[in-house]
Amino acid sequence: MKQLVNTFLAILIVAFGLMFLASRLNSAQGYSGGNTLTIYNWGDYVDPDLLKQFQEETGITVIYQTFDSNEAMLTKVEQGGTIFDVVIPSDYAIAKMREENLLLPLDHSKLPNLANIDSKFMNLSFDPGNKYSVPYFWGTVGIIFNPDMTKGIDFSSWDSLWDKRLKNNIFLVDGAREVMGMALNSLHYSVNDTKEEHLQEALAKLNKLSPNVKAIVGDEVKMLLANEEAAVGIVWSGDASEIMDDNDKLDFVVPEEGSNKWFDNMVIPRTAGNVEGAHKFINFMLRPDVAAQNTEYVGYSTPNVPALKLLPEDISGDERFYPPAELTDRLEVYDNLGKRMLAHYNELFLMFKMNKK
Amino acid sequence: MKNRRRVKNKNGIANIYLVLVFLVLYAPIFYLMYYSFNSGGTMHKFEGFTLDYYREVVADTRLMIIVINTLVIALLSSAIATIIAVIGALAIHHVRSRRAKNTLLSLNNVLIVSPDVIIGASFLILFTIVGIKLGFTSVLLSHVAFSIPIAVIMILPHLQEMSPTLTDAARDLGATRRDVLTKVILPIIKPGIFSGFFMALTYSLDDFAVTFFVTGNGYSTLSVEIYSRARQGVSLSINALSTLIFLFTILLVIGYYYLNQRKSRPPVQIAEPVAEAGVPR
Repeated sequence: MKQLVNTFLAILIVAFGLMFLASRLNSAQGYSGGNTLTIYNWGDYVDPDLLKQFQEETGITVIYQTFDSNEAMLTKVEQGGTIFDVVIPSDYAIAKMREENLLLPLDHSKLPNLANIDSKFMNLSFDPGNKYSVPYFWGTVGIIFNPDMTKGIDFSSWDSLWDKRLKNNIFLVDGAREVMGMALNSLHYSVNDTKEEHLQEALAKLNKLSPNVKAIVGDEVKMLLANEEAAVGIVWSGDASEIMDDNDKLDFVVPEEGSNKWFDNMVIPRTAGNVEGAHKFINFMLRPDVAAQNTEYVGYSTPNVPALKLLPEDISGDERFYPPAELTDRLEVYDNLGKRMLAHYNELFLMFKMNKK
Repeated sequence: MKNRRRVKNKNGIANIYLVLVFLVLYAPIFYLMYYSFNSGGTMHKFEGFTLDYYREVVADTRLMIIVINTLVIALLSSAIATIIAVIGALAIHHVRSRRAKNTLLSLNNVLIVSPDVIIGASFLILFTIVGIKLGFTSVLLSHVAFSIPIAVIMILPHLQEMSPTLTDAARDLGATRRDVLTKVILPIIKPGIFSGFFMALTYSLDDFAVTFFVTGNGYSTLSVEIYSRARQGVSLSINALSTLIFLFTILLVIGYYYLNQRKSRPPVQIAEPVAEAGVPR
């Protein structure tokens, strides 16, 4: 008995000692004061030095919290119970949040730096007039390939994927919109096409791709491609830049028929506690020097025009990630197709997956 | 001679099998540990030895706070859960009716097998309805909750193994209820209490699904943090951190065996002869 009591007392003492240590560290970092701002963002999606800089300039302490998918983030924001001041979801999630009335309208007079954003990234279908959201990073869906293994195939068109030489050599990302969109694009239709005959045509074309597809995979595609498990992958540009960091043999291209472009945008949820600070933070992130530094850290494409000029030429001049205007004009944002159409897309994608041998 | 050889052969196969199983279990961990020293920065080509990632881990205050949070939650929640579980196991043990006992046990087991995601989501809903702010309290409460059934399962067999004549004898010799509990029952079930505590500890350390739902307001634990970082590709500093935590758990296990071997032996040795001296089982 004595031993039991002693052991448990020791455990409690250790636990409270650690708790004390944590609270000391917390207050040393300023996390426990009243003037704080909670950012809810993807893991490792901002330069931590910038958060420190923001803190020095405004005296507001930033608490950085992370999520791993739009859906997970939606659940947390919907339920309430915790205060987030700035959240950085992707386009379709913003449309959803807007519909469910989860967002606060932005006060544009407090965001003078919004003028830095390229006009072609403003006023998009998921948020007309940018009433609720401000662009943070953007990117495309394209083909990443290993020149050593593809023997000079030219990937500037989606049709190149159907080349017989690529047998069992392509990784597809496991997303109905991405894969269906690619097939639609290859037929010169819109990624948002809802005409049944076009969709069936796309499915038929996808089925012909089957022999070339090695696997349909999730985030592990980055590791697989970097390890040269297959020659070609359909991936988001952000992933592509990471893969190319790991293995510089690979190259990335956005096919000329067009493709999807995606956005991660900053929004203020309705439950925000520090709306004033949230505006300050968004405006801070839009500053050219800040956006440039952040772009260098994260490696995705920035929509900030003056920031681009501050970036070294090998980043801003990289047409793979900053495609020329005539291509970007052909890129489309995913529209919210509604529940039924989305289910249909998923169903078609499932049929393709089942057909695959 | 023939027989002996067969036995030996059988053992050989069993040993090879065992070694294979352990290789499969441990290979990924050692692979991960190996690359935590890679100066190349990736997991597929070892370029040279470096301790940079360990330095990075120690220098990252936010990560350190999260590690401490995780440990505090694990220690506190499993201690509280074990205490509650001891009381619960005693209560279940004392229920006379077989049906009631089985019902209670099944209810306990359902909580162990029910999916973490569902438990997590229900906690999230519960806490927001009751108005508990998500953070330390919510994480602690939910960890206590999911640890209790596990600890109960570890403690109950020890109670069932205990001969009922023991408590009767103690009462006959004039022990009070309190004495019976503290001097007879608790020492006998002590190994169960410790294994319950350590099981709860490991469950709490690596739980992601439940914790994900109930963290908030800047409070986070390691599992949630690593998972959200993984989207950008796991950096080698996570390897370094995992190595450190792996070593820490190994120390815990060694400590657990030390406790079990050295300190819990005497009561068991005393208990056995007494039980045998009483009514034969």
